[in-house]
Amino acid sequence: MPTAAEFDQTIKSGELIESPKEMTPEYLRELKHTLIVSGDTELISAPAYYLAAKRAPSINAFMTGIAIIQDELAHAHIAYHILEELGEDQEKLIFSRDPKSFRYPYAFDVPLDTWTELVVANGMYDQAGFCLLGDIHDKCSYGPWKRGLNKVMLEENFHLRNGRTWMKRISAAGGAAKDELQRAVDWMFPLSVEWFGLPDSMKMHSTQLEYRLKGLTNDQLRQWWLSTVVPYCEEIGVKVPAHKETREGKDVWELDYPFPCEFDAESKRWDFKKPSSWEDVLVRWRARGPRNAEMVALFQEEFHKFRKAHHTES
Amino acid sequence: MADDRLWAALSEVRDPEMPVNLVDLGVIYGIREADGVVEVDLTFTAMGCPASDFILGDVRERLMSEAGVREVRINIVWNPPWTAARMTEAGRDALESWGLAV
Repeated sequence: MPTAAEFDQTIKSGELIESPKEMTPEYLRELKHTLIVSGDTELISAPAYYLAAKRAPSINAFMTGIAIIQDELAHAHIAYHILEELGEDQEKLIFSRDPKSFRYPYAFDVPLDTWTELVVANGMYDQAGFCLLGDIHDKCSYGPWKRGLNKVMLEENFHLRNGRTWMKRISAAGGAAKDELQRAVDWMFPLSVEWFGLPDSMKMHSTQLEYRLKGLTNDQLRQWWLSTVVPYCEEIGVKVPAHKETREGKDVWELDYPFPCEFDAESKRWDFKKPSSWEDVLVRWRARGPRNAEMVALFQEEFHKFRKAHHTES
Repeated sequence: MADDRLWAALSEVRDPEMPVNLVDLGVIYGIREADGVVEVDLTFTAMGCPASDFILGDVRERLMSEAGVREVRINIVWNPPWTAARMTEAGRDALESWGLAV
């Protein structure tokens, strides 16, 4: 194991870390934490997307939805597989953890109820995933993860494509279909903005950045996301609560609502008149959302039933 | 209208999943044009291809943007079936550069 000073030097030099032997315990802990968030997010998107994909308007659309779910499961597997190489038990991580201990964005704790919401998720949540993973793919100091993300980035592009094509199609259809799309965007846009976590002004120190596990700050990632989603929505005639400003010759994306603020998960509506605090948001994130247990049970339950049945037989 | 121009147009259409264009992927079997009507024989790498809707839309959109094209007809062909041998050298290189085995 390298000394703290040696390790510091490796990180500063821009070299890649290739095995646990080259890490300090602090780096290993932070790497594992980052991988768990990534694996959990990919994994939970599968049941969340599946419940909505069942409402696909055609066989072909259903196949595309299912292909995306297959990709997400494979992405989760990459993260958990690396965790296993770092000494964790993949099976325990996936099947034996308490639902509340899963680390994924709150957006997946509220259900996707329609095909329209699913394609908005492909257009917005997968764009968030694309920014977060694209940054890791670009900057991550852990070689095996950086390389494993090659395939992931390619597939996330396909998910975005599905989201954007369908959003455009639904918007062009007009009438009730477009109203439903606008409602989905009104609900899901702020959920995606939250995805990137605390603003930089409140996050004094980032170990992930220090260790080059990622390269961009939360606010930089959020700006990247806004710079892709806002112009696209405007192009297809969908309203979003954000706009571009030019400051000192640079484009800055500004939200048109207090961030963070309150919402009603049942009616899927944000209340832009009720700002909240980040303390409240952190409490909500930790408590998890209305469908957390149900989503996790979708992949945990059968595993345990199957195990139990086989145990009884033998 | 020279068919070359239409082949060149489709070599700008990327597969929605893989970093390779449709011509290098070897899924375009034929292009014929008469009187502004373009007919394309096209296959997919697999039946039930999840990207087929996007591919058809992209082919139609790209060909329609060529001057003089007023209609695009696409025939989906399953015979002869696609195999990896139908990829061009450039197509193979593109996929290998992304770490995909071909």
